[in-house]
Amino acid sequence: MADPPPYPESNDDIGVGPDRGSTDVYPGTPRWVKVFGIIALALVLLFVIMLLTDPGRHGPGRHTRSSGPGGYTPPIEHGVQQP
Amino acid sequence: MTMTPGLRKFVLTAHVTSSVGWLGAVVVYLALAVAALTIQDAQTVRGAWIAMELTGWFVIVPLALASLLIGLVQSLSTPWGLFRHYWVMMKFLLTVFATTVLLLHMPTVSYFAGVAAETDSANLSGLRGELLHAGGGLLVLLVNTTLSVYKPRGMTRYGWRKQHERRTVSQA
Repeated sequence: MADPPPYPESNDDIGVGPDRGSTDVYPGTPRWVKVFGIIALALVLLFVIMLLTDPGRHGPGRHTRSSGPGGYTPPIEHGVQQP
Repeated sequence: MTMTPGLRKFVLTAHVTSSVGWLGAVVVYLALAVAALTIQDAQTVRGAWIAMELTGWFVIVPLALASLLIGLVQSLSTPWGLFRHYWVMMKFLLTVFATTVLLLHMPTVSYFAGVAAETDSANLSGLRGELLHAGGGLLVLLVNTTLSVYKPRGMTRYGWRKQHERRTVSQA
């Protein structure tokens, strides 16, 4: 199945709409980009709060700690370790 | 740097294949973690860790790197550019982020898989972290797929300037 053109104004799959940048003034950042940015910022803040409230639970340190990943405790023979 | 239409289609096919393969492999990874957490049987948990390590290193990591590199080549050799359109730039940043987290996280998976392979026990609590990582990765990949299909409008200031310069040169 052939891909439809990405923009109505173009007729190939790398076409860039001719109305883009057609004005002399930069049209500004689209709303969807701002919404994306706000969501990304909220997720980053949430992650930082999680790190600050429980530093041993996650983060790059979890992968490099000398005691083993994720505060790993010695395994129980023939069983499944419960949290 | 530009590509012929034939080569461009080939690179596009490789990019779609690696990206969709990456998404599918993450779903398999997630299924293993969910199955082990649901069944909670020692053998299943051990098997899941070992399978997840193999899937991670031999399927997910190569596909992630391939998707990132091919996408980079593709963007730089077509009029889309890498930083000209918001959707391309966001896809790139999300892919770099997901690949970095993946590469940082895989040693942890190897550690738990090693314990599962060498002893008669396996870590169940670590699987919850896998749900978070694989779930987050899946979300990022779904966002990237959506951006690729819809290609939402919006040029960066840099892209707009470049296009404006090109138009000015062509009119001169």
